Amino acid sequence: MAEVALEPQAGTPEQGPDRVAGRSPWALALRRLGRNRLALASLVLFVVIVATSFAAPLYADHVAHTDPFVNDVNGTTIVNGKKVPLMQQGGGVLKLGVTPIGPTWDIRHYFLGSDTQGRDVAARMLYGGRSSLEIGIGSALIACLIATVLALIAGFYSGLVDALLSRLMDVIWAFPVYLLAICIATVLLTAPNGLEVGPIHVVASSLWLPTLIIGLIYVPYVYRPVRGSVLSVAEKEFVEAAVAQGASNRRLIFSEILPNVITVVIVLLPLMIATTILTEAALSFLGVGVQPPGASWGTIIADGQNLLYTRPWVAIAPGIMIVLTVLALNVLGDGIRDALDPRAKLRVEG
Amino acid sequence: MRELLRRVFKLTIPIAAIAVAAGCGGGSSSSGGSSGGGTPAAGTPQKGGTLTILASSAFGVADPAQNYTLQQWALLIDTHDGLVQFKRVGGSEGTQIVPDLAEEIPQPTDGGKTYTFQIRKGIKFSDGTTMKPSDFVTTFERQFTVPGPTSFYSGIVGADKCTAKSCDLSQGVVADDNAYTLTIHLTASDPEFLDKLALPFAYVVPGNTTPKLTGNNVPPGTGPYMWQSYDPNKEAVLVRNPNFKVWNPDAQPEGYPDKIVEKYGLQVSDEVTAVENGQADVVFAGDTIPSDRLNELGTQYASQTHVNALTADWYFALNTKRPPFDNLQARQAINYAFDRKAAVQLAGGSSLAVPSCQILPPNFPGYQEYCPYTANPAANGAGPWTAPDIAKAKQLVQQSGTAGQSVVVNTDGPDKPFGEQMVADLNKIGYKAKLVVLAGSIQYPFLQNSKNLDKWNVGWSAWYQDYPAPSDFLNVLLGCGSIHPNSDASPNIAEFCDQGIQSKMDKALTTGVTDPDAANQLWAEVDHEVTDQAPWVNMYNPKQIDFLSKRVKGYQWSPQWYILYDQLWLEQ
Amino acid sequence: MGTFIIRRILWTILVMFVITVLVFLIFFETPGVDPARQIAGRNPSASALKEIRHQFGLDRPVPVRYVIMMKKLFVTRDLVSYSNQGQSVVPEIVSAAPATLSLVVGAAIIWVVMAIVMGVAAAVLRGTVFDPLLMILALIGISMPVFWLGEVMNLFTQHQFHDSFIFSWVPGLGYTPLTQDPLLWFEGLVIPWITLSVLYIGLYARVLRASVLEVQNEDYVRTARAKGLSERQVLVRHTLRTSMITFVSLFGLDFGVLVAGGVLLTEVVFGIHGVGFLTYQSLTNLDLPVIMATVVYGAFFIVLANAVVDIAYAWLDPRIRLA
Repeated sequence: MAEVALEPQAGTPEQGPDRVAGRSPWALALRRLGRNRLALASLVLFVVIVATSFAAPLYADHVAHTDPFVNDVNGTTIVNGKKVPLMQQGGGVLKLGVTPIGPTWDIRHYFLGSDTQGRDVAARMLYGGRSSLEIGIGSALIACLIATVLALIAGFYSGLVDALLSRLMDVIWAFPVYLLAICIATVLLTAPNGLEVGPIHVVASSLWLPTLIIGLIYVPYVYRPVRGSVLSVAEKEFVEAAVAQGASNRRLIFSEILPNVITVVIVLLPLMIATTILTEAALSFLGVGVQPPGASWGTIIADGQNLLYTRPWVAIAPGIMIVLTVLALNVLGDGIRDALDPRAKLRVEG
Repeated sequence: MRELLRRVFKLTIPIAAIAVAAGCGGGSSSSGGSSGGGTPAAGTPQKGGTLTILASSAFGVADPAQNYTLQQWALLIDTHDGLVQFKRVGGSEGTQIVPDLAEEIPQPTDGGKTYTFQIRKGIKFSDGTTMKPSDFVTTFERQFTVPGPTSFYSGIVGADKCTAKSCDLSQGVVADDNAYTLTIHLTASDPEFLDKLALPFAYVVPGNTTPKLTGNNVPPGTGPYMWQSYDPNKEAVLVRNPNFKVWNPDAQPEGYPDKIVEKYGLQVSDEVTAVENGQADVVFAGDTIPSDRLNELGTQYASQTHVNALTADWYFALNTKRPPFDNLQARQAINYAFDRKAAVQLAGGSSLAVPSCQILPPNFPGYQEYCPYTANPAANGAGPWTAPDIAKAKQLVQQSGTAGQSVVVNTDGPDKPFGEQMVADLNKIGYKAKLVVLAGSIQYPFLQNSKNLDKWNVGWSAWYQDYPAPSDFLNVLLGCGSIHPNSDASPNIAEFCDQGIQSKMDKALTTGVTDPDAANQLWAEVDHEVTDQAPWVNMYNPKQIDFLSKRVKGYQWSPQWYILYDQLWLEQ
Repeated sequence: MGTFIIRRILWTILVMFVITVLVFLIFFETPGVDPARQIAGRNPSASALKEIRHQFGLDRPVPVRYVIMMKKLFVTRDLVSYSNQGQSVVPEIVSAAPATLSLVVGAAIIWVVMAIVMGVAAAVLRGTVFDPLLMILALIGISMPVFWLGEVMNLFTQHQFHDSFIFSWVPGLGYTPLTQDPLLWFEGLVIPWITLSVLYIGLYARVLRASVLEVQNEDYVRTARAKGLSERQVLVRHTLRTSMITFVSLFGLDFGVLVAGGVLLTEVVFGIHGVGFLTYQSLTNLDLPVIMATVVYGAFFIVLANAVVDIAYAWLDPRIRLA
């Protein structure tokens, strides 16, 4: 389901016309991006979301004065200047159940209300955003890095290495990506010691665990387009010229092919982050992503599931954050693609 | 959805319950006026109709020799019979043992090691064959050839040689089909043997039943109903057994509905809606009703909602083999510090859970209220828990010299809120606590296995007892004999073993064969002494909700089997 | 064509083999999971555990255990679940598949129709305000987590507006088999269908719009126009047909992935007990036989979808056919 954010035509940038213009292609791309108001607005939105999420401790400590990682089921808060308990006992003869307080819309006191454990949902949402963004960006970087390295190896040494790597990617591809992630996460969370590979030891509560899992499962999705571009660049005249001049393999990879491949990766990166953020949310929603007492947007939606009918904001608010973030990244990704790849733009504009 | 595991309803046979029958409960179930599992409602009970129960998931394999869930037991008691039975009524009377297929309850001979039962004649299985004493031999041998909880009947002579391949109990279970007697020989006296005989494992099946698992087919039984079908993805259907006639209404009365259907696969929230709308009759009590539906049940539908206290403990075991909780003062400190009120809130509020400090639950044999770990304790601790005493706890931590040590709290997924509360309270008194959450299906075996003692210090767990005897809490969960090193089945999670207390438990067990009252007094002392040693932080005793449709009458809640489905009748 | 099919089959077998081995190793070698303990139920004795281990071949070497499981899955087809011994795994999956198929097929119809409408409309209306508007809508659809959208849908249709005439027809969550009550089957699936299709409508509309615009500039389309065909004829006969190539290959793969268990989240949120739900449940219980069976089932559908896409591709693209 998630591979969808990547589209087949998010493809190979061309270099031709810009070179003729005598300016660096990067500067041109930036200029084009600067003219795309929608993309710029998305960039601003994304930066704002990142900034507020990373300001979570400031909000919790200095505005809301709450610790969103500690239960407070016997606590109170202030609504309209009056002290009220966070959890309200059910009514009637039987007095069944307790209901947490709903949104107060007062930024200093439980703005979005409380969850079933008496914790401030707004503060948790900011902290949760921090985890979601860290995992999303981290895993997208991991996927791009590994895929690029593999694609360079495959594209350059073609033949057997390429065939083996490509088949390996195909096998991973033949597995629903969410299922793969859930399987791996379930097993690693089950192992009471967490993940132990040689000297590296990742405990279950660490954010590294979901980051690594998500990063690894998306390698094939970056690998395919990057390999394609490596192959196409390797056949270009300037590379052939370099080979004719007796350039070494290493020099070729670093000075000729890599810079061109980077363009593809830069186009892919925002779309990958959008995808990984969605995947992280799904894993956390199913309980195999971020582990308690930590929070991410996905875990808060899961917490809100049992409160859906009485306190819907617990589930709705983090979802809106996800939609805004992913939307901003997708628009930005489109913008970057158009800016770096004028032919794609040309294709679309006709 | 993460509650899936919780639906594998652990069994519970509490001894006495205080039911809040609608309208006379006065709010809290401890107000106690109406004991006895609900007053039969006005109107004349009438036969007929289909009673529909909704459960989110089925109870697993349907073989009575293997199934260990109260969900199936609630149906099996209507289709099968044992030698003896818990009396089929609501209220505390429901823990009395009455003769069922046996003519009467025999006095054990041979120092409590031999029981001879006179079996009733003329009783037929639902397939038409006549029930005879030798059928019991097959029934008991199946305990061992079908992979199941064999330990209940391992005291029978010859059981030690039984394996899953073959089992020969001809020395231990002797049937005489002419005299219609059944003699059971034990290797040692067992004060709880009759309780064990009243469990569905020991309910008789025809002598020609396969020694292997019957899968999803339930073998024929002798009760008023019989299993028409069972499909764990769809439904279980019970219809009247044409061969049944009443022989002892205390043990096996006639049922009212013509048909009992248990449907599987709905979300609990939708089960509630369906029963509210009268499309079904009962929400299976093992399904946890979402907290946002509770308020409407307690207000709009109060007359159809019943709350009963369970004899069960929700607790944290303290790892007594590793620092810091190998230290008594450290264990007592966290007992003083843990906020049981918060735990009760997390469990759904004071009408669904009652805080507790001791091991035995209220209304249990040997129960005498005791809570030393509270702010302002009553004289001799004989009072309820009121509030945590952080100052006292901090002082104890200082005295123990364990301050600043790191502590790992271990819970399963659905119960992580309790774990988080525990972490916060441990941090409050100077430990460095962190939480580890394991998948529900492996957390319990993980805690039990002594190989993992290095990996946790405080472990969440819950216990619903098997039969109404104090040993089922104290000896099973905290006795020296319940520690099995390197085994996944070692229920003494805390690895608590105190020789003095153990010898008192042994004495209580022996006394119980002859003098139950004296034994209960001993158990009360054991309960308080164990509590003083603080191997656990007990949190609370839970309560359970039954939600019925408007047309259902005759609600009775047996402390043994919970709601009695066959005694409900439907207003036409 | 013959060698193509043989190679496809060999590749399928290889993929399935690798995947089953992988899953087997991942789950069977997980520390802390003792299948014997799972089979035995509560409080088994040590000897009972040993007995079960032997009976189920759990004390044999790992490769032997793998072969036993595969034999039970494919040859004798009597593999039983660990957490419920009465439950054979193969029939369990067979009985769960109709729910998944109903969900995916219905959603697929919605998303294909809606995506064609939106994509073509955006392409035709290029230059007006509707084009960017439609594309932003599509992007919003792509950006929504499906489980969250499902929750919000539930909130509205089951609670908030359930008493209003708009949603009063929505039945409670869960799946009713088509054979049992066709109307209830339909009513119960409408909201899940919409929820599942939103993402794909957005995605496919974007893909279709881009490829329509691209194809419009191809020589043969210009030729067709020059021949005097009307804009509509050109659009339907040439542009759309060629544009559908990418569309169809994407569709095949996504459809395969969804039927294979990719609908897990949608099924969980709506309480539809299909294959995805079964997978989720077996993962929560670490019920290896069921996990194994659902994974094999899933891999099979994905590989099958790949093969179908390859063939459809050849059929649709005249350039390939000519060559």
